[in-house]
Amino acid sequence: MNIKTFKGGIHPEECKEMSLGTPVERYLPQGDLIFPLNQHIGKPARPVVAVGDKVLAGQLIAEADGFISANIVSSCSGTVKAIEPRNTAAGPRVQCIVIENDGEYTLAEGVGQEKSPQELSNNEIIAAVKNAGVVGMGGAGFPTNVKLMPKDAEAIDYIIANGCECEPYITCDDRLMQEENRAIIEGMKLLLRLFPNAKGVIAIEDNKPEAIKAMEAMCIGESQLYVQPVMTKYPQGGERNLISVVTGRDIKAGQLPAEVGTIVCNVASLYAIYQAACKNTPLMERFFTVTGDAVKNPRTLIVKLGTQTQELLDACGGVKEGCTIRKALFGGPMMGTPLTGLDVPVCKNNNALTLLAVDPVEEAEKQMTACIRCGRCANVCPVHLVPQMLADAAERGDYKKWEALYGMDCFQCGTCTWVCPAKRPLMQMFKQTKAVVMAMKRAQAAK
Amino acid sequence: MNENLFNISSNPHFRSRLTTGSVMGNVIISLLPATAFGIYKFGIHAFLVIALSILACELSELLFNVIAKKPNTLTDGSAAVTGLLLALSLSPSVPLYIPVIGGIFAILVVKCFFGGLGKNFMNPALAARCFLLISFGTQMTSFAVDGVSSATPLAAAAAGETVNVAAIYLGFSNSVIGGSALALLIGGLYLWVTDGISLRIPVSTIAAFTLFMALFGGHGFDPSYLLLQICAGGILMGAFFMATDPVTSPVLAKTQIFYGIIIGLLAGLFRVKGASADSVSYSIIIANMLVPFLDKIRIHKPLGYYNGEYKEKKFPTQAINLLVITLAAGLALSGVYALTKTKIEDQQLAANAASYQEVLPEAASFTASDEAKAAIEELAGAAYNEASFGKTYVNAAVTGMDEADAVVGYVMSVTSADAFDGTLTVSVGIDTEGTVTAIAFTELNETAGMGMNADKPEFKEQFNGRKADEFILDKGGNASAENEINSVTGASRTSGAVVNAVNTALAFYRDHIA
Repeated sequence: MNIKTFKGGIHPEECKEMSLGTPVERYLPQGDLIFPLNQHIGKPARPVVAVGDKVLAGQLIAEADGFISANIVSSCSGTVKAIEPRNTAAGPRVQCIVIENDGEYTLAEGVGQEKSPQELSNNEIIAAVKNAGVVGMGGAGFPTNVKLMPKDAEAIDYIIANGCECEPYITCDDRLMQEENRAIIEGMKLLLRLFPNAKGVIAIEDNKPEAIKAMEAMCIGESQLYVQPVMTKYPQGGERNLISVVTGRDIKAGQLPAEVGTIVCNVASLYAIYQAACKNTPLMERFFTVTGDAVKNPRTLIVKLGTQTQELLDACGGVKEGCTIRKALFGGPMMGTPLTGLDVPVCKNNNALTLLAVDPVEEAEKQMTACIRCGRCANVCPVHLVPQMLADAAERGDYKKWEALYGMDCFQCGTCTWVCPAKRPLMQMFKQTKAVVMAMKRAQAAK
Repeated sequence: MNENLFNISSNPHFRSRLTTGSVMGNVIISLLPATAFGIYKFGIHAFLVIALSILACELSELLFNVIAKKPNTLTDGSAAVTGLLLALSLSPSVPLYIPVIGGIFAILVVKCFFGGLGKNFMNPALAARCFLLISFGTQMTSFAVDGVSSATPLAAAAAGETVNVAAIYLGFSNSVIGGSALALLIGGLYLWVTDGISLRIPVSTIAAFTLFMALFGGHGFDPSYLLLQICAGGILMGAFFMATDPVTSPVLAKTQIFYGIIIGLLAGLFRVKGASADSVSYSIIIANMLVPFLDKIRIHKPLGYYNGEYKEKKFPTQAINLLVITLAAGLALSGVYALTKTKIEDQQLAANAASYQEVLPEAASFTASDEAKAAIEELAGAAYNEASFGKTYVNAAVTGMDEADAVVGYVMSVTSADAFDGTLTVSVGIDTEGTVTAIAFTELNETAGMGMNADKPEFKEQFNGRKADEFILDKGGNASAENEINSVTGASRTSGAVVNAVNTALAFYRDHIA
């Protein structure tokens, strides 16, 4: 295997085996389903239903409000119970549509109707993606239909399917690639029709040999398509690093992949594109891993969007005996968002619920010492910054120095913080400093 | 805090197992072979030096933290590393107060006063070693094994003796406690394999040093000479354990290589031009002080800035400027040493001449005879009849003549290394009959009020006008016979050294002059 990789990066404990033992099953929630109106980057969607309305599974309940926005579709049949602020991963008071689930899952008309890919025009594909409310499902939540309309479609020569899944604990993309390999490849082929000059590359870390095998089986005889195994390390799936590894082209912070002729899509997004275009099925469910050392039976489930996390925990046997949850995360431990409670719903861009009995941050704070200048942070930084110097500038509030050291190029992957023996909160400092510098720039621009 | 609430914090929520304590602990493990060998070879005294050094470091850090109301930082293990490194870089025969003073200086002055861990601008162990070299030069540079002190391999080699490189490599030679090259290499490789250090600094240091010694050492690319220079004199310990101290070395890979080259070149320069005992220590200390400047050299831009327009030219020019400045400073330092060396020698000669006149007042002029010169040259710095007189060295032997160029007597300058505080040097005047005319000290650094009393007439005038084959020291103060000398009260060791020196002068007179 020709395994590629980039300079820097780390290899944290994978912790993936715990959720790999159980087969994937679809979980049908019993309770209310909650649909936040901002599950994507951009403007929140506008509700098109009112309290008391009957809805069916697959029915549009909120529509994209503006160019960068996305549709939201109900994943169950039932009655609109409320449109009110609820606790979500994005914040404690986010406007949500709450649907009382009737447990029938009656599909709306036309959902599931198969279409041959050959019948579809390019515009129909993009329209289907837009109507289905597909967004980047790896975490960013950028509306996919917008991504598929770059200024110059001819200039795109690489479409990269991101199947790296470099985040520890999570196994949903691994499972998706094994079970829906055909659908992912069909999704990729739809994109290749939109971008005739492009090659399709499926990038998968070499710790997922089953997924690589499954995807390679689908690429046999395809001239435009191939699987690129990449080294198992974090943040291999980071967009800038992945582009660099696959194409040899580097992009700065703030540059779009399309500027170097590349489009990067998560494999789950490709699957959703295929479902939307060829099965007329909007984005209602996704592969989702419930894992962590506090979970009794960690596993990957097919989950209806809007399901509350407490139900998913119960479906996985609840909390392991003798454990208490110290930290609950959407996503894995490297990039994950901490949750304040388990009443929050699963959104389009959430791929895992990680429940930790021991909070490594809490432990690290006890072991924090002064920086010993060992330079490990500079060795692992995937964009080749020097976190040690950045932290120094950040601590002193020297924003000029911070920018001169390319602090704004930090994309907050947290590798420096993971590796730091002094347990310094490096990335947290960088996040804060970046926000301050950006605010200062905005204030200057407003003058 | 409500135990039922989840923790909220920014990502990442995952940390490596590395801690500052584990990093430091790994350094200690890597030093264990050298430590164990040092204790095995030099015995209980070496163990005490190591234990006291570590203890002094730990206690001074604890004390400082208590007084300064700072949190306890002993658990990070850096004080123990400093203590161990300091002890391993000491001579096995140092008095036990040396590691204690060194440890206190390292932690309190070099580390704590500058802000504690990570803020010190010099390696604490090395800074303490340099401080000790300056303040306790004699104790620091005398190497005694089993009570017998002898020259270090480098000094011996410089004096023209042949040395056994294999013995040095294994550690069976005169050296500091952690002087086994093999044990240090094992430790260094362990540290590299366990990701404790990168090889950038050690390799660049040793490479630059070897190249310098090959070019300017005066022996060309003679492998046995180069191997000796690498194995002895602390370059291995310096390169693997001192220069790689993360706090006082550059953060970036390329600057680390450059930093290693600076150390290697300076160490070579100091060894060729300066005193060999401290060449490595001083070169690393100087390079430590350059680190803030080295860290200012931006040598790489982040991902995405390489396409097209980006070309970095800054590094070579800035780096070369720094290198030139450093080497110029190094040369200047060596120059000062060379200049002061001749000045000191001149002064020594003048002092000697004055003492010659003092002990042989009848003479109007002094010349060194060819036979005496040849006899001294033949000794080649070796002790004169060590079995009888201990470590005594004949520095000069001159013939004194009156105004009519008639020989009136002889003066021998003799150094004894067995004095209480290192060495003493005495000029001994002998007339043509073999009678001692007088003695005078040109070097006496003994304890005030005790050994220093040797310079008082009561003691030194006992020799005047006496004729004996060999003087005998009477410690009881009841000297009566012609050849018996009363000891200075409470300073029998100093007195013994003086008597031995005079006896050496008499023996030399009999063997080569009379």
